Amino acid sequence: MKRAAAVVGVAALLLGCVAGWVASTAPDGLEHVAESLGFASRGKAAAASSPFAAYQTRLVPAGLVGVVLLYGFGVLFGRTLKRKK
Amino acid sequence: MHIPDGFLTPPVWATLDAAALPIMGCFVRRTQAHFDESRAPLLGVMGAFVFAAQMINFPVGVGTSGHLVGGTLLAVTLGPYAATVVMTAILVVQALVFQDGGVTALGANVLNMAVAGVWLGYLPVKVAGGPRRVALFLGAWMSVFGAALLATIQLSLSHVAGDGPLFASMLGIHAITGLAEGAITVTVVEAIGKLSPKFVFRGEA
Repeated sequence: MKRAAAVVGVAALLLGCVAGWVASTAPDGLEHVAESLGFASRGKAAAASSPFAAYQTRLVPAGLVGVVLLYGFGVLFGRTLKRKK
Repeated sequence: MHIPDGFLTPPVWATLDAAALPIMGCFVRRTQAHFDESRAPLLGVMGAFVFAAQMINFPVGVGTSGHLVGGTLLAVTLGPYAATVVMTAILVVQALVFQDGGVTALGANVLNMAVAGVWLGYLPVKVAGGPRRVALFLGAWMSVFGAALLATIQLSLSHVAGDGPLFASMLGIHAITGLAEGAITVTVVEAIGKLSPKFVFRGEA
């Protein structure tokens, strides 16, 4: 199981690296519906205030930041579960 | 289908935020009772993998894209309780760090994708008594369609648009996205199962 976990972890890192290049930039289902039914403007244009907004950044593939955060969460959560038992 | 800030009216998002908090507290506690410790090494990698996979938008018809949500995938690798908590963590990181999904709409997104998405995604697998292909595919489809249905009801309660076009377009698009979710879920679960059969969850919820 450890080997499989390592493979999934590496796959996550790879996906995190390439996401910015390969992902379609077309609006997703909800965004598309919001545009076509005319309620997209209700969404607040807050996207500029985060350095990683919409996974776009030039320094590091922004997705990697999330991949590392989620990995860290899982490890900590696993430890908490062990301790409580 | 992450709902951004501004789409839901305050009474709708506030109610859903208030409902999501105790529900998640309950899921965290139940995870402690139900979690199989041998799966602890999977929590981090599966959360990271599903987060990364959610960034890969693929075209769905003309001018629209979809991405994996991963409710079934998390449920059949971590068990449904831990899957609910990990999916919630993914949604929190997306909302707070990446502004993918609103902060006020977090309760709605958690209830739609982490609670309904994971448990609807797990239901056919539970009924089939294991991660059979048909059950995985159906679960993945139900998880996307069910989450989209809930999101549409919340948008309808917020009077964003006429109900007819709103339900027709939201459910139409996500019925198709659900098919992709099914295909990806079956492929990934089978690949993981080949690497390590024990990786795929077969135990009691």
